[in-house]
Formats: sequence, C-alpha cells, structure tokens
Amino acid sequence: MIGALVLALRLLMVLALYVFVGWAIWTIAQDVKRTGLQAMPRRVPAIRLEVWTQNGQAVSQAFSQPEVTLGRDPACDVLLDEETVSARHARLSYHHNQWWLEDLESTNGTSLNATRLNTATVLTNGDEIQCGKARLTVSLGNNDTLPIAQKL
Amino acid sequence: MNDQRESRLIALAAVFLFLYSVILTLAPAVREQSLNVAFRLSHWLGFAAWLLLAFLAYRVTSRLLPDRDPYLLPSALFLSGWGLLTIWRLDSGFGLRQALWLGVGVIAFALIAFFLKDLNFLRRYKYILLGTGLALTTLTLFLGTNPTGAGPRLWLGCCGVYLQPSEPLKLLLVVYLAAYLADRLPTSLNFFPLLWPTIFATGIGISLLLVQRDLGTASIFIMLYAVILYLATGRRRVLLAATIGLIVAGLIGYFFIDVVRTRLDVWINPWNDPTGHAYQIVQSLLAIANGGTIGRGPGLGSPSLVPVAHSDFIFSAMAEETGLAGTFGLFAIFGLIFARGLIASLRAKDRFRRLLAAGLTTYLGIQALLIIGGNLRLFPLTGETLPFVAYGGSSLLTAFVALALLLIISNQTDVEPVPLPSPQPYFFLAAALGLGLIAASLTNTWWSVIRSSDLLARTDNARRSIADRYVKRGSLLDRNNQPIDATEGSSGSYKRVYLYPELAPVVGYTHPIFGQAGLEASLDDYLRGLQGNPSSLIWWDHLLYGTPPPGLDVRLSLDLELQQRADQLLGKSTGAIVLLNAQTGEILVMASHPNYDPNKLNEIGASLAKDSTAPLVNRAAQGMYPVGTAAVPFYSTLGEVNAPSTQQLQALFEKLGFYTTPQLSLPVAIAAPRDETANLQVSPLQMALAAASLSNSGMRPAPRIALAVNTSQQGWVILPAQTQPVQIFSADVAAAAALQNSLQNKIYWGWIGSANSTKTPVTWYLGGTLPNWQGTPLAVVVLIEGNNPFTAQYAGQELMRAATKP
Repeated sequence: MIGALVLALRLLMVLALYVFVGWAIWTIAQDVKRTGLQAMPRRVPAIRLEVWTQNGQAVSQAFSQPEVTLGRDPACDVLLDEETVSARHARLSYHHNQWWLEDLESTNGTSLNATRLNTATVLTNGDEIQCGKARLTVSLGNNDTLPIAQKL
Repeated sequence: MNDQRESRLIALAAVFLFLYSVILTLAPAVREQSLNVAFRLSHWLGFAAWLLLAFLAYRVTSRLLPDRDPYLLPSALFLSGWGLLTIWRLDSGFGLRQALWLGVGVIAFALIAFFLKDLNFLRRYKYILLGTGLALTTLTLFLGTNPTGAGPRLWLGCCGVYLQPSEPLKLLLVVYLAAYLADRLPTSLNFFPLLWPTIFATGIGISLLLVQRDLGTASIFIMLYAVILYLATGRRRVLLAATIGLIVAGLIGYFFIDVVRTRLDVWINPWNDPTGHAYQIVQSLLAIANGGTIGRGPGLGSPSLVPVAHSDFIFSAMAEETGLAGTFGLFAIFGLIFARGLIASLRAKDRFRRLLAAGLTTYLGIQALLIIGGNLRLFPLTGETLPFVAYGGSSLLTAFVALALLLIISNQTDVEPVPLPSPQPYFFLAAALGLGLIAASLTNTWWSVIRSSDLLARTDNARRSIADRYVKRGSLLDRNNQPIDATEGSSGSYKRVYLYPELAPVVGYTHPIFGQAGLEASLDDYLRGLQGNPSSLIWWDHLLYGTPPPGLDVRLSLDLELQQRADQLLGKSTGAIVLLNAQTGEILVMASHPNYDPNKLNEIGASLAKDSTAPLVNRAAQGMYPVGTAAVPFYSTLGEVNAPSTQQLQALFEKLGFYTTPQLSLPVAIAAPRDETANLQVSPLQMALAAASLSNSGMRPAPRIALAVNTSQQGWVILPAQTQPVQIFSADVAAAAALQNSLQNKIYWGWIGSANSTKTPVTWYLGGTLPNWQGTPLAVVVLIEGNNPFTAQYAGQELMRAATKP
C-alpha cells in the first residue's frame, strides 16, 4: 500500500522535473516565435525621390529600406552636395504604415511643401521636400513594393 | 516578466524537491513494507535551508539584476537542491556541510551581484587575480592537506573548513584568458607573440597541477585554454593542437604514470578487475543499471555501495534513485544552462563579456560532461565534481560565482551586441556540448535499459543480499514438510537459519559475503521468488520496492528422520551415504562427512575453503571415487563370464550410468569419460542410481531431490525429474543379480566393495531391497574414505533396516 503511494509520488516527482524543463523550453520557444515575428520581412512601400540639381535636372533614386537619410555626408543614403545642407540633414522613415519625414536638427532646416518642419510628418505622393537649398520630390509607388532583407 | 518566469521555475524546482523529501521520509516504510519504522526526517532541514537560500537568491537577482536571463538561476538552484538532498540521503553529516556551503555560495553570489556589476574590475586586475589563484595553489604544495586524511593533498584547510584552490583557479584562468584576449586580439596582427603570456600563465597552472598529481584538473585546463583561444581567434588549428596534445599527454601518462595507466585500463576493460581498480566504475554501472527507467525512488536504492558516492559518483547515485527519467531531466537542465550561457555570450555588449560568458559556460560544460561520462564509462574517470550538484564546498562556491558572472553578463536590455566576426566557434561549442549530452543519454540508456538485467545478475551486485534482508526467502522443507533451512526475523533484519546444519554440504548456504552453495544456490530463483511467481508480480514488486517478491518454499525429497540416522551412523568417518527410492529416484538421505555448521559462517567462512578435509564438498554428489570391486554385483548381468573384457565393462558401465552426469537440481561432479574402465571413478550418487536398478526391475531411475514448490496461486507444484528413467536390464536379470547378493533373513541385498587405485583406499557398501519386497523399493550406497568395511556395512544395513521398518 505504502509502496503504491510512494510510486505515485515518484511519478509526480518525475512530472515536476519535466514540467520545469518543459515550461522553460516552452517559454523560450515563445520568445523565439516573438522575435521571429518581429524579424519577419515587413513590406515597405518603395519610395522614390527625385533630387533636383542646380541646373534643373532631376536625379531619381528608389529605396526599399525602412529608413533613408539625407545629407551632405557621403554615408547618407541620399547625398545632397550643397553647402546649405547639413552633414545629416533629415530622415525619411517608414513606420505605422506611413512614410515620415523628420528634420535632424539641421542648420538651415527642412521644409515640406514650403512649410518649415518641426516634428516628424507623414508624407504623401508628390510632396516636395526642401533641405537647405536642395529640393526633392517624393513619389510613393503603392503598386511596386519591395520586401526588405530578412534580418535575424 | 523575468521575475515571473524565474519565480515560477524556482517554484517548480521546489515542488520537485518537496516530493523528493516526502519520498525520502517514507522510504524506510517502503523498504520494510511496514508503517512501524523510523521515518527519515533530518533532510527536511536541508530542504528548508534550500528554500530559504533560493528565496534569497531570487530576491537578490530581481532587485539587482532586473534584466538577467531568467533560466540560469532556477536551473542552478534545481541542481544544487537535488544534489543537496542526494548527499543528505547518502550521509546526513555531509548533507549538513553541503547546506552550509550552499549558504556560502549564495552569499558570494549576492555579493558579486552587488559589488561587481561592472566587470571591468576583473578585466583590470586579471594578473593579480590569476596570480592569487596560482599562489594559493602553490601553497598546497607546502601546506596541502586532504580532508579524508589520505590521498592527494589538494586542499588548504583550517579549523575544519577546507578549500581546494584548483577549483577557483579554473574560474580565474577563464577570467584571465577572456580579459587578455579581449584586450589584445583586435589590435594585434601577429599571432604567436600575442599568445606567449597566456601560454606562460596556463603553463604555470598546469605544471602546478601536474606536480600535485591533479591530472583531471590539468586536462581541464588544457581544454579550457584551447576552447577559449578558439573562440577568440576562430582558428581551428588551436583545437587540433590541443587534441593532439591531450592524446600525446595521455600516451605519455599511460606509459610512465601509474595512475593514468590504471584509469585508462579500467576504462577500456573494467570487467577484468571488477573487485580491484575497477571496483568503483563497475559498482557505478551496477547502480545505474539498478535505476532502470524510472529509478528505485529516493532512499530506495543502494547508491552507497559505490565508494565516494557523494562526490565523484553522485551522478550514479542520482541515476539509481531517479532512473533514466531523472537523468534525462538532469541532462536537459544542464543543456538549459549551456544554451542560456551561450546566448548570454552572443548577446554580450563587449568582447570581454562575450568571451567570459562563453568561457564560463565551457568550464561548467566540460566539468559536467567529464564526470558524467566518467560515471557512465563514456570517458576515463577524472576525479572532477559535478557543478552545483556534487559534494564539495570549493566546487559549489566556484559554480555559484560563475553563475553570478553569467547573470551579470546577461543583465542588459536591447543593447546592440558587439559584432561577431566568425560565429563558427560558437556553433561548434554549442554542438560539442549538445553532442556530449546526447552521448551521455545514449550511454545511460545502454546501461540502465539494454544491459540492465545482465549487470544486476552479476554476483558482485550486493543489492541481491541487501534484498535478502528485506524480503523473506523461501524455506527448504523435508518430504514431511519439516523445515531444514528457514528465514527468521523481521523485514530489515531477515536472517537465514539452518535448522539441520549437518546437511550443510548438500543444502549449502546463502550468505552476503560468501555467496551461495548447494541447493540454496541451485534453487535460488524459487527461494528468492524470481521463479514460480507470476511475472506481473515480480515486475510490480521490482517497480515498488526494487526487490523480488517473497520467496517460495521448496519441498525436498530428503527424510529428516532417516537423514539423522545416517549422520549418526557415518559419525566421524570421512565419506558419504545416499539412500534413494529405487523406483522414483527420490533421494531420501544424502550425507557427506565431514561437514560444517553454516550458522557459523561469519566466523568460520574464511577458513572453510582452506580446510584440507574439504567440508564444503558434497562427497555424495561431487566426490569421485574409484569403483574397484564395487561393480562386481553387476557382473552377473553379463551372463556366465569369468573375467569381463574391457568392451564388456565399457558397455556395462555405460548402462549403469557411470559415464553419465546425473541431472538434478544440485551441483554434481561431471562423469568420467567413456573410455575409462580400470581407473574409473564415480560419485556415490551415480553408484546409488546403478544399485537402484537391481532393486527396481532393471530400471535405472532418474534422480530427484527438489520435489515441489509452494506457489501462491496454484499451491504445491511438482518439480519433475530432469531426465527419464532408463531400462538397463530386464527385470529377471536384475532380480537374479540382486538375489545373488541377498543376505540371510534380510529383505535386502548387500555387497562390500573396495578400491585401492588412489592413494587412499576407499570402501563401498551397496545395498537394496529384494524383488519380493512389497514396500517401496530402496537402494543405499555408503562410501568411506579408508579401509573400513565394518562401518560401511553396518551403516548400510542399519539404514536399510530403519528405512524398511514398517
């Protein structure tokens, strides 16, 4: 009788051991799943920028990453070789299903459709950006979206 | 969220340890299968201490390290609690010490978490730290002691507290290597000049350990150095060089250092020397085999049969009591620690932290795998301790310091990890640790499931005689159910009592030291309950108690009254008497003199085997004596011949069964080869079977001594004879031969024979009932070593008279 009782306790003890191991593995798996969801290839609608040079010509650049920097620094995604432009002048970023423009405390400021920018603002198709004296036109292609590279 | 996960895991560990403690308390009742026992209670102190310390450690981490890894601390606490209770179960004195050391470990853990959050302290003072460690180890050369009083002097001790500096030295080496390599590697292009300081520091450590004969730790140093260097540089050559180095060191050790040679020999083939150098490892494997799938249960195995079970062999103790189910869980917990350690390393914010975390994980991993593998005979045995689990203050303290450092490294949120130039070394390390755990699981399955029953049947498995103390062994009864051997006492102190000791050479004995002999050995399966019981009952009892079910009584054909008479008649003569039922072959009397008292085996056991009068031998069945003129009564069956030819004799002896080994549940001598005639030797039992044929109408009976076994379900079940009777003469021929030797006014025949072919002459007396005897036909053989026809004849005739008395 006592033997059967202790056998039941022994099985419960083994169960406790595996609940410990199993619960640890389950929560780790949940973490992995969450991290995986975050890292899933999010679709970013492509943004096309037309940079107007001084001689009135437009150079067009398309981006599919969720963040695009503008400035005079060669490390910037869009290089604006113009004295009135700061090294890192402004940033375009995609979040909350919108493209946003924000000024990076540049010396000469950033304007959107001739309005001086103070906070991050949502962009729409055909918007005109002015960084210092450099001018850019935004075109948001809704039909040709590109996935960003998966980053784990 | 971290706090919640950590506290939940610690609570689960507490549930496990609580159940372990409850089972340990009840264990004596299960063993003795009665509630009237002394329950074990002292380990609850250990459980309470663990609970308090676990709560303390949890509070410290949740206050000081809010973003730590939530799995490391619960895993470490689980292991240390499991180890603590296992040690307590083995020896409560060691358990108490371990509980105190666990307290010291947790306090050190808290202090490090409080004062050392910024690990740059370690980085800056790496030389001082390593130097201190080396200095302490050097001190053991002059002031070293061993807490047990003997063996390598690896400890520094004062006032009953001992520290083994080689344990923290491993940790300090890891810190030093991580700090040095993290500082130098990115800037330096030249590989070898960079490494000289590390080779120098590691070399000093290894030489110190070699002088101390702490070879296991020295090999761990080599492995740690190689792995950390590989992690830092990504050069596979390092591993290759270290592997070759270890193999060369092993070979040199094999040929020049005795300890290494014994360890390797014992690893390669422990079965050659199971009572000597391989005793520990063989006993460890027996313990693991006894664990089986779900284990015997805490307190219900016999892990203390393995020497130093609380430190080097704690893994086999855990395997015996929790089985494969427990050890797989143990491997999973270690796997969790390794995985979380490596994740902390990969997420670390600078190179020093990354190398340090990986190095600490390697330290825990190598140490755990080496000693688990050593217990399982997967690797040669190194006297290392199982981190967090095994008995030993220095080891426990070091493991908790390593745990604290790992937690500090893992304590960060969303920090960009430092770039990893080559991830292969980390994958390699993870794969190596994982493969090590898988190999350990497979080896463990091999011993505890596949090879389990073979191992447990070994005679050096002391668990069988331990089971005999707790489970009643069956009795041996005579044909009238008078007990010959019985088990007396109560569970826990059962003792075999030999009620008619003069039968000792025949029924033998069962003894924890001297093993088994005679019928006690040959009928052991019935007496032990392993045969004759339903297999479901055997399985159930093994599952519940780890013992066979209560043994079954066996009824023998012996008649105690006649046996007593035969022993009186044989008296002090050296010789044997066999009296059997000539028809059924049932042996009524089997006497062998001189004999011994098996009740006094404890005192006389050692000298018995050396006794020149050979009292252990059952002369009636195992003694071989020249036939001489004892075969003459059978010559008349050949017809009218004066002197039988060799061919005729061979044919006759073949019929009489002199070339046939009798088959019965008793150890017997192997019969002589077929071509032997002039110098033929037979046992008194063979002669009695031959004589029986004359009294049984020419039919040579099949001998029997075990008649029936008393099973619980079917009552007495007959144990049939193992062979068939053989008609060797016609009834008329047999009757004529018997009548030729009939005695005046007697209802039986008799014949005195003698033989002188060996150095001592022997005297035979053959007799049997006559064909016209109405009762049970009987046959008797008396053999006396020496020329003593009077005693032989008197004994034979008296016994026949007593047996045929109405």
